[in-house]
Amino acid sequence: MKFQIDKDVFQDALNQVQHVVSSRTTLPILSNVLIEADELGLQLSTTDLDVTITVRVPADVSVTGATTMPARRLASIVRELPTSEIKIEVNEDNAATVRSGPSFFKILGLPNSEFPVIGEFGDAKEFTIDQKLLKDALRKTAYAISTDETRYVLNGVNCIIGEGMLTLVATDGRRLAMVEQDLEFPAGNESAVIIPTKAVNELQRLLKDSGEMKVSLTNNQASFQLNESHLITKLIEGNYPNFRQVIPGEAKYRVTVEREVLHSAVKRVALLVNEKTNSIKFTFADNQVSIAANSPEIGEAEESIDVKYDGPKIVVAFNPEFVMAPLRNLDQDEVYIDLIDESSPGVLKIDEPFLYVIMPMRVAG
Amino acid sequence: MHNIYPLNVEEPLERQQLNTLWKLVSDDLRTDLGDPLFDRWFTGFLLDSVDLNGVVLSAPGSMYAIWVEENFRDSVISTFQKYLSKCDKFRVSVVAPAEDALEPEPEVAIEEVSGKGKVLSQTISKSKLLERGLSAGLVENFRFDNFVAGENCDLALAAAKAVADDPGRTYQPLYFNSACGLGKTHLLNAIGWESLRQRPKSKIISVTAEQFANDYIDAIQNNSLAAFRKRYREADLLIIDDVQFLGRKEGLQREFFHTFNRLNDQRKQVVLASDCPASEINALEDRLVSRFQSGLSAEIHRPGLETRAAILRRKRDDWDMKVSDDLINAIVERVKGNVRVLEGALIRVAMVATMNEEELTTADVHEVIADICDVQEGRQLDAEEIKRAVSEQYDVSVPLINGKKRTARVAEARQVAMFLCRQLTELSLVEVAACFAKDHGTVIYAVKKVKKRCEDSASFKSTVELIKRRLVRGGGTQNPRGNDPVVPDNDQFTSFRKFSPKGK
Repeated sequence: MKFQIDKDVFQDALNQVQHVVSSRTTLPILSNVLIEADELGLQLSTTDLDVTITVRVPADVSVTGATTMPARRLASIVRELPTSEIKIEVNEDNAATVRSGPSFFKILGLPNSEFPVIGEFGDAKEFTIDQKLLKDALRKTAYAISTDETRYVLNGVNCIIGEGMLTLVATDGRRLAMVEQDLEFPAGNESAVIIPTKAVNELQRLLKDSGEMKVSLTNNQASFQLNESHLITKLIEGNYPNFRQVIPGEAKYRVTVEREVLHSAVKRVALLVNEKTNSIKFTFADNQVSIAANSPEIGEAEESIDVKYDGPKIVVAFNPEFVMAPLRNLDQDEVYIDLIDESSPGVLKIDEPFLYVIMPMRVAG
Repeated sequence: MHNIYPLNVEEPLERQQLNTLWKLVSDDLRTDLGDPLFDRWFTGFLLDSVDLNGVVLSAPGSMYAIWVEENFRDSVISTFQKYLSKCDKFRVSVVAPAEDALEPEPEVAIEEVSGKGKVLSQTISKSKLLERGLSAGLVENFRFDNFVAGENCDLALAAAKAVADDPGRTYQPLYFNSACGLGKTHLLNAIGWESLRQRPKSKIISVTAEQFANDYIDAIQNNSLAAFRKRYREADLLIIDDVQFLGRKEGLQREFFHTFNRLNDQRKQVVLASDCPASEINALEDRLVSRFQSGLSAEIHRPGLETRAAILRRKRDDWDMKVSDDLINAIVERVKGNVRVLEGALIRVAMVATMNEEELTTADVHEVIADICDVQEGRQLDAEEIKRAVSEQYDVSVPLINGKKRTARVAEARQVAMFLCRQLTELSLVEVAACFAKDHGTVIYAVKKVKKRCEDSASFKSTVELIKRRLVRGGGTQNPRGNDPVVPDNDQFTSFRKFSPKGK
């Protein structure tokens, strides 16, 4: 196998696939990238047996063939190469020579036959979806995914297609983020799948701000086919809990606040958060919210910001990280905080179909 | 009331205790959290179990479960700590997955409620029912309509029918016990079939305790305990045969305990069968014993003469055998108890009858089945019967045998009685000695002496044999719970061979 490729193109492609490679050392082949060269260019693939990513890039191939090389190492070498022209030649022992200007590298790879073959996609439901729409929806929900592996069904984004809507939900038991986007799907595509965290992260990396993408779903696998790249992932098996149980009913009071103002205020006050309770106190009253943190051994912080609120005084405590996470990932200027009382969950909303449920912490005394 | 707290969690709490405890804890939580908060999150919660592994609550929905675990951990644990000797862990299980699960169950409800539904349910094809029953583990031929009722099992049969008609509401659990071969398994399966016929959608599981154990072990090996639990804990009717197998198996008992509790809480039916009462199962945890006893315990006795005859006539017709009623009467006179042995005797007689050209007589029948009778009843004797038989033969009264008099005749009678006690009962030397108010050395001596004399004197031997035969054949009071003999197969063959040349 022999080819010549532009450094930036190669580096970009390697960046897209290298995050998947497994840190598990039990199977050395899983830390390698599969490189297949044909007349049209290169195809790079990595897998951790759960998520598989394949990217196509144009290259000047003089001898076709396939091999595997250590993905992370190859990526760091390519990143450091001095010129934009890279020539790679692989012999039958899977030893690759990389030449770029004055640099010369020899990298020992593994035969491509050892690379796991991704299972065939059988009877799948297929549809296309706007890339930006899915990217936004994932961004608005992914941060709420639970990292608690004992509740594995929560270790992903629940994705429901049906009733003219695409619903994405993530929760960790203390907050819940949901996007409910009106979207017409061809009939017969109703499904509910749980996309695991890793696939969600990789997908966010691959998705562009324009164009469409082909999605195929089976019971235990999902495939996302973009223009040049392709992601296949196992789905989390199990039933996602009925998240509607924790979404509070009609709110009594609405606070309208500027997103960035709130975000930076919380960020500052959180610097003095009490490590034990990990909560900061929000006092809503008279078009003002005062945000306060109090840590007995360290000190205290308080900041007031102007909001739109005309209800009674409500004091409620939240985990500051849980307040900041959605604020970081939204891009609207204004957000709404809907409240019922001091102990009911607060709901953060925007003008778009999104909501974020956050449990108040119990204020001592 | 409060002075019983903190409760010791070394022993898992009983249902009653759990209910009281949850009442207290939920009241405290309500005070602590306030009404709106408590009502918002804890409505429908129950206390599932409390043991060394912590507190398990059950929630009406999976999201409530997760949310409460995450957000109210401290409150819940600190409240429980007031009442328990130890509480550092709690988790929430989901009790009614119906709300979450995608498969709705209204069909079942309709069938139970409306008459129209019932008609519908009956139209389900027989083959489908059969298929469902077999996949639930039921044995095809054991139905109520081929169960021969008799005075020995009135209660058991009535209870079985009641449970099949209305599972979970009448006797929970229903516990059958009897010696083997008296129809426990038949009744268990009949309950399953009848229940399935009336409610084709209900989930029935029928297994032996051993299968349950194997499933459990497989589940542990394959790391699929969740699936195992789901399977068993979601049954509408759980039928377990041979529960005595649970004896001495602690892990299994623990698993079964939780399965049982879950079903019990959901008012599902559990039907159990064993060869002895729950209290007599070897090393069965007290909490299981008490649960098994909490429903109805029905004992199946050995069938009486008429029932035995009815059973055999039924079998004869089922199997299309040419055995006259007289011969059947001859069989049932001799073979008592165990239905399997009865069947064996019938088969044997039928076979011999087909091999012989002449009509069999009652005496022939007795000869054919002689060895069955011997094993059959040999063990049902007790020392008193033996003493009576010996006293008749020697014309020495029982008190004399029991007494201290050592005239030759009395001593001989006493020794023969001791010898027969050793031969025909399972009493130990010491026990035999106790029956005669002697020490065990005396019994050893008596047994040795009688053996020796049997070798020396043919007439003495025949006397002993005579008493023995009388005891064995004469039938004493029945011991319904005695161990049943198993007739070895080759015995049957030898007896055929012995007998068959006659007609040829």
